[in-house]
Amino acid sequence: MNSILEAFDNAGLKGAILLDVPSTQFVKVNLMLLRGLAMERGMSGMFISVDRPHQYMVHLLTMHQIKAEKLIFIDAISRFSADCKVASANVGFVDGPFHIDRLPEAMGEWGKCNDGNSMTLSDCGFAIIDNLSALLTYNNYNSVETFLKNFVSFLEVADHIRVPLMIDSEKYGLLYETAKTLCKGELRLSTAVPALGSRADSVPKNITNVNYCKG
Amino acid sequence: MVDKKFDEKSKRPDLVRLPTGIPGLDDMIEGGLPFPSVVLVSGTAGTGKTTFSLKYLCEGAKRGEQGLYFTTLSEPTQWMLRYASQFDFINKDYFGDSIVYMDLGNLMREVDANQLLAVMEEKIAEVVPQRIVIDPITVVGGMLKGDYRLFLFDLFNRLKNWNATTLVTGEVHPGEIYPPEVSYAVDGIILLQLSEEAGARRKYLEVLKMRGTNHLTGRQSIDITRTEGIVVLKARF
Repeated sequence: MNSILEAFDNAGLKGAILLDVPSTQFVKVNLMLLRGLAMERGMSGMFISVDRPHQYMVHLLTMHQIKAEKLIFIDAISRFSADCKVASANVGFVDGPFHIDRLPEAMGEWGKCNDGNSMTLSDCGFAIIDNLSALLTYNNYNSVETFLKNFVSFLEVADHIRVPLMIDSEKYGLLYETAKTLCKGELRLSTAVPALGSRADSVPKNITNVNYCKG
Repeated sequence: MVDKKFDEKSKRPDLVRLPTGIPGLDDMIEGGLPFPSVVLVSGTAGTGKTTFSLKYLCEGAKRGEQGLYFTTLSEPTQWMLRYASQFDFINKDYFGDSIVYMDLGNLMREVDANQLLAVMEEKIAEVVPQRIVIDPITVVGGMLKGDYRLFLFDLFNRLKNWNATTLVTGEVHPGEIYPPEVSYAVDGIILLQLSEEAGARRKYLEVLKMRGTNHLTGRQSIDITRTEGIVVLKARF
């Protein structure tokens, strides 16, 4: 059982959920979430890449035998980074991470147009953005704050969607505090969690000390 | 309002940094190496490049970060560990779990640049490291079939997208300071140098380049001790 999802379930958390994760562990926690939500629960969802091209997450999922057919990737960085890495997935592109105001609209559009693999909000079980704080590199703080509010309210229309928002509270305190006001719950993953530093294949079964803070 | 306790500066994104654990060095580079980035550690034989790399990985392991050590020397793990174990900071329990070791030496003789890149990425995707070492990268240029510069460009670009901070070590001849084909593509350059002064060989460390970092410039005296590995001597600050 994936312990982060277990913590979500125990607290009855749906909608936007804030995860306090050290910046260096975002990739591993994303992998855990996708394994839990897409593979163990068989849910459809959206993965929005703003930090690095989506191909890296696709490659990672493939390596860890996590099927990506039920995932739609929205990539806001590939066309900006000139990276030529190849990976096969259902993907739509946003011009660049400077255009985040267009993202909620793009999620609506691309959810419907991938060769019959359409995904309306009612089909979508979760939405993950990788990662929110990376947006601060390309946009001023107020734009990111506005985006975050729009993003959460856009997805809250469908109240069954899980929206884990991963932020490092130590590094991005202001963004974290803003997100906290929009989220229904908050989970802190301690830097001392040994499994976060162990090999990825052992992560899901080893993370046990997820602290539930607020419902 | 949440804004009250945060000033304008806190709205600017600071780079995430990984401490090297090398006493004195982290203070020179605003707390550590930028994450993600690729940093070249350059020096002639015996300047402490491998010691630097091992300390970096062990510091990560101590902090719960995963390490991946690519060697290009066809050196089995036990030989590397035999020498490394002379340092007090080496915890053998890290190796094989928190620090995964992979020998690329034999593979480089058989495959082309794209195949080597694919093998390295497979390992990175399997291990999901935050800290990577390639020691030494300069050997690859002499053995690889294909365009070495293009390989380095693709490799360094991808390493950053895998969300890791990678140390690549570069062996240079006496008189050279860094391998130019590597230096153009990296985010940081740290020089380890030996200098003969008054009949004695003295060791120095210099941060030549570190993107996004207000780093201390100039050569700093270092010592290599059994307890700590490389130590930047405080008398120079």
